[in-house]
Amino acid sequence: MQNKERLTSAYVYGFNTHRSLTDGLLRACQRDLGHGFYIFICAKIDFDKSHLKKCLRFLHGRTDSYRVATVPSQFDDNKTVDGKPKTRRKAPSSISTKYSHAENLDELKQDPYLDYHKIPLDELYQRFGTHPGTGLTHAKARENLERDGPNTLTPPITTPEWIKFAKQIFGGFSVLLWCGALLCFLAHTAETSTTEDPNDDYFYLGVVLVAVVVITGIFSYYQQAKSSAIVDSFRNLVPQFAVVIRQGESLTLRAEDLTLGDIVELKFGDRIPADLRIIESHSFKVDNSSLTGESEPQSRSPEFTHDDPLETKNFAFSSTHAVEGTAKGVVIACGDNTVMGRIAGLASSLDSRPTPIAREIIRFVNFVNITAITIAILLFIIALMMGCYWLDAIIFMIGFLVASVPEGLLATVTVCLTLTAKRMASKNCLVKNLEAVETLGSTSTICSDKTGTLTQNRMTVAHMWFDNQIIEADTTEDQSGVQYDRSSPGFRALAKIATLCNRAEFKAGQDGVPTLKKEVNGDASESALLKCMTLALGDVMSIRRRNRKVCEIPFNSTNKYQVSIHETEDPSDSRYSRYLLVMKGAPERVLDRCSTIFIGGKEKVLDEEMREAFNNAYLELGGLGERVLGFCDMLLSPDRFPKNFLFDVDEPNFPLSGMRFVGLMSMIDPPRAAVPDAVAKCRSAGIKVIMVTGDHPITAKAIAKSVGIISEGNETVEDISHRLNIPISEVNPRDANAAVVHGSELLDLPPEVLDEILRYHKEIVFARTSPQQKLIIVEGCQRIGGVVAVTGDGVNDSPALKKADIGVAMGISGSDVSKEAADMILLDDNFASIVTGIEEGRLVFDNLKKSITYTLSSNVPQLLPFIAFIMLSIPLPIGAIAILCIDLGTDMVPAISLGYEHPESDIMKRPPRNLIRDKLVNNRLISVAFGQLGVIEAFAGFFTYFVIMAENGFMPYKLIGIRREWDSRAVNDLPDSYNQEWTYQDRKSLEYTCHTGFFIAIVVVQWANLIVCKTRRNSIAHQGMRNMALNFSLIFETILALFLCYLPGMDEALRMYPLKWTWWIPPIPFMLALFIYDEVRKFYIRRNPGGWLEKETYY
Amino acid sequence: MNFGSKTTFIGLDTDKRKLTLSKRFVMYAYDKDTGEIFGRTPSSWAKIGLFYTAFYLSLVAMFGVVLWFFFQTLDPRTPTRQLEHSLIGTNPGLGFRPMSNETHSTLIHINSKSVQDYSVWTERLVKFLDVYKKPGLTPGRGQNIATCNYDKPPGKGKVCDIDVKAFNSCTEENRFNFHRQGPCIFLKLNKIYGWNPIFYDDPNDLPHDMPKGLKDHIKKITNPEELRTVWVSCEGETVSDKELIGPMAYWPIPGFPGYFFPFENSEGYLSPLVAIHFKSPAKSIVINILCKAWAKNIVHKKNGINRGSVHFELMMD
Repeated sequence: MQNKERLTSAYVYGFNTHRSLTDGLLRACQRDLGHGFYIFICAKIDFDKSHLKKCLRFLHGRTDSYRVATVPSQFDDNKTVDGKPKTRRKAPSSISTKYSHAENLDELKQDPYLDYHKIPLDELYQRFGTHPGTGLTHAKARENLERDGPNTLTPPITTPEWIKFAKQIFGGFSVLLWCGALLCFLAHTAETSTTEDPNDDYFYLGVVLVAVVVITGIFSYYQQAKSSAIVDSFRNLVPQFAVVIRQGESLTLRAEDLTLGDIVELKFGDRIPADLRIIESHSFKVDNSSLTGESEPQSRSPEFTHDDPLETKNFAFSSTHAVEGTAKGVVIACGDNTVMGRIAGLASSLDSRPTPIAREIIRFVNFVNITAITIAILLFIIALMMGCYWLDAIIFMIGFLVASVPEGLLATVTVCLTLTAKRMASKNCLVKNLEAVETLGSTSTICSDKTGTLTQNRMTVAHMWFDNQIIEADTTEDQSGVQYDRSSPGFRALAKIATLCNRAEFKAGQDGVPTLKKEVNGDASESALLKCMTLALGDVMSIRRRNRKVCEIPFNSTNKYQVSIHETEDPSDSRYSRYLLVMKGAPERVLDRCSTIFIGGKEKVLDEEMREAFNNAYLELGGLGERVLGFCDMLLSPDRFPKNFLFDVDEPNFPLSGMRFVGLMSMIDPPRAAVPDAVAKCRSAGIKVIMVTGDHPITAKAIAKSVGIISEGNETVEDISHRLNIPISEVNPRDANAAVVHGSELLDLPPEVLDEILRYHKEIVFARTSPQQKLIIVEGCQRIGGVVAVTGDGVNDSPALKKADIGVAMGISGSDVSKEAADMILLDDNFASIVTGIEEGRLVFDNLKKSITYTLSSNVPQLLPFIAFIMLSIPLPIGAIAILCIDLGTDMVPAISLGYEHPESDIMKRPPRNLIRDKLVNNRLISVAFGQLGVIEAFAGFFTYFVIMAENGFMPYKLIGIRREWDSRAVNDLPDSYNQEWTYQDRKSLEYTCHTGFFIAIVVVQWANLIVCKTRRNSIAHQGMRNMALNFSLIFETILALFLCYLPGMDEALRMYPLKWTWWIPPIPFMLALFIYDEVRKFYIRRNPGGWLEKETYY
Repeated sequence: MNFGSKTTFIGLDTDKRKLTLSKRFVMYAYDKDTGEIFGRTPSSWAKIGLFYTAFYLSLVAMFGVVLWFFFQTLDPRTPTRQLEHSLIGTNPGLGFRPMSNETHSTLIHINSKSVQDYSVWTERLVKFLDVYKKPGLTPGRGQNIATCNYDKPPGKGKVCDIDVKAFNSCTEENRFNFHRQGPCIFLKLNKIYGWNPIFYDDPNDLPHDMPKGLKDHIKKITNPEELRTVWVSCEGETVSDKELIGPMAYWPIPGFPGYFFPFENSEGYLSPLVAIHFKSPAKSIVINILCKAWAKNIVHKKNGINRGSVHFELMMD
């Protein structure tokens, strides 16, 4: 019994449904709860409400999710066999540490979670030290806040900062540089132990390498920190407020400042700031859909109705919404302790696969690392076998490793991505992690919500039918559309009904707001009518005042109509006032109650012909996916209904049939203005747009058609069967380009069939889908190889958002949990922003390619000198320090500036990249950078090297084979081609001058290379030089090179010697050659699309 | 550099990922289905091969052309950049012979008891002096050679004769005294095109750090022409080395006569030599020796580095 009590005492409210669990499970719970932890046993994450209850058994930390399978079935009373208490195990997961203070059972008992919904209110107040009228005192609130922390969800446990830092320092290319540094220190030690007068060059180089690793590490770390700061800044964008009573005053506080025991006042439209027990309510209803997926609002009141806190009426949960009424509640759980907090933790435990660019970069880094180390070791052995002095071989190794690493590359990539993230934020896309930027660019499928994303999330009257014709109402955002005759009697009658038979009202205090944007109290259809009428008639409220409502039968689902009776203001009837009965409702029901129809100002008998006309109009409007309402009225006879007649609503003492049918009005949530263009852009960019909505298929299809998701002329299977008049089963599904799939079909659909649908239909709409079906759709799209972007706003969307390659949450309507799970947040909830994001993503991918091409090209002139050094035994043409000067100095800013490059003309006209074939660093890029551009650069460098050597006396043929003597300190009189004799120091000065020359040569050819890398297909003449960052970088690079070369002291510090100005000339022919070659190459690529040159060199 | 257009060994299609690494490699090396060898069909290899051959050939051709143009600016006998315009500068160093055949070693380790051992060193010296003995070995020396002295500098294009007999006992016949534990080491001044020494020709104005022995020698000279010499001195590097080194003799004179300068790459030019006879250096210990050339325009220390000099170690067994 004691165990049972222990168990319950440890319960978090809401999850005692697991009483239905087996005993074994109970014991497992109890055993673990003995340590104060909760386990989720949840093999499958599913946010369906029934599942939620099955799933969320609070047991242990989430790391032990599958623990239940291993639970022993015997009774475990937390004591060993001989009755001694078991030793307490360590906290199994870090997330549990926040409960560790409750390790002690007694403490747990005092932590009275379980019964908040059961105990009398007075006891509740007592526990929290609060009062329903005056709330907490400020002191108590402060004390609570200090104890429990702010009322926010802790972000998912992230890797500790020092691990992130260590990853930057020891990951990626750092491996090679560490190898290089190690070799340097090795060479230094070896040298000091063998020669008397060692030179400190190796030690110095080693220190420089370590510094480079650490500095680039710090830089990357800083960049990462900066980018997460961008994400953090997002949190403060939409602060949440709550009305709280403290010390008798009603205060508006930030939701974070709430604490246990606060008395919170809620009204409809509020987001519930914490888990609350309701203490007062007035027809209060909450929308729990973000928590449980139930879309119907549920009423909440102070009564305790159910043992299960999730079911009981007196609980309202954090991050759900109040949709109706007002209420007061006591905060009983904050932040992570709320139900939402626990689910957020659950959602974040879902694995998401690494983003494409992360995979690419890992792949590329590994490729470079492995290749460089293998080749270096291989050449080292060859060099030794060729009788190379071991120290030379080590210099070679160091140089080779340093040269093969594009040191600046990772930093460049990070900076480019950060730049884009910022740029996207300015375009209403907030990117939560940098790589997501690029993932967005490779998106091949977008699964988009309908409501709010594709549409305006604002019911609007779209059509009217009166006088036997359908009239289009204006649904555009700026009301620039068609106008209609507002003076016809038909319209006036219809408008009167729509105005009077309507309970919706504008919220107060919105005088300056355009009508369409005003907030309304009332349901969506009624507010649509209200707005439409306000636009057509002006002040609706005064009309209503003049036609006072006498009585009303509200809408209900059995009647499907709404009736109200009004006094009339009709001047012609001033002799005696008559009552006007107005009715609106489901058109067929309304028509049934009519005997006449009002057409062209005359009342006609409702004959078959008219019924036919009505039916056609009804079907047509319904077919547009619009919600249709019928309107009718009747002037009550003053004889039977004199003034002050007492109307009885419960047992109508007035006629409800034989009325005059006036017309139909249909409403739709119209698409956003920018969406059709954006969809068309997606189509030209080869991106499939799939609509996933909970709406009715017809509505979904209509919106899909209006925004172009189902393009004109494309038919679904149903359309074909309808057109050809054959059964659906006889239609070949492959003939239909479009498909509308009903959510209920999806449940029984085997994955293969779903794959087939996704593969063979270009245009797909999923209607009546639930959030977990969204997950199925996402998985299906990924199975067929798509990179999937998914939009979502509810909490229950978060698994799909996590699963997607890029989860897109809505900034306005999205719940915090969905934002947490998403990779990107649309600040304006607009689908078009996704497309902008995709363009940016593609741009960053292109620009990264350009940047990488630029950076990699200069690796060849860094590598080849070392190979020549060993193979031709020439004096070293370029040193490790000069290489670092290029990679981390002159190449850095230009490489980053390519991140600012404008898109090429084809950016949204080509299909999304194929994740398998189109790598960031693909064969073609390597072929162009290493095989072509780089080699030209290397020739430029070697030419400069030979020029400097020859002008000083060493002709090229003299240099070959000279290395051994050249590098020997013992040789103090090495003859050159003119029989001059060189001391060791003079030779080294010459060699370092050559290094500088080689360095300058690379800088000079990189000028051309930078310009060439601006485009992959277009000519530079077409692209222009509008990228100011790039223009600046050209100048910056040059000035930096001049500094490195000519600043006094550089010879000592960096072994950079001043060059004669004439030595800037040798690389120029090669610079021109590089420019011309690449322009010609691109010219042929443009001339022969799909030709051999494109296949081999278009990277 | 191009590993194939379709797939690479690393990035194979997903369906091939299931295979083991070795199988994947074999498949990559030769794909029976497509006839691809390392990711390309033979014709594809041929095309890309042709492309790169043409590309590199044109690049090499361009390199050749620019190099040819550059060579047109060079003179075969006169360096383009000279003296301070060249990195060789104006501060010649010294060279010594014989040298160890170990690349980075400046140690002359002579075991005078073993003929076999020291003959390695003598042979190197013999080989070094061969050109001095036989003018025919140096192209152009035969017709250009002239006997010079301080009063009779060589004419234009002529080169001075060096009398190997003037080295006194430091001759091949004497086995350079190696067997007597008093070895002879030869020094020569580095040739720098167009370099003219500024002589220490005033016996009263000699640098204070010049060794006393050399100063005494200079002061004894009577013919002022003979002061036009680039002087040479050798010393132990440390105090103890100075003791261990013992007495020395310089043959023919402790310096390089001024009439050998400037070096203008005339055919047959040979550097003047100074033979240093270490009469009784300490045995079985490494002696660090620093030999300096003395002229007013030779600097001996710059940025802490010895210049205008040469360092070697001597060890006698």
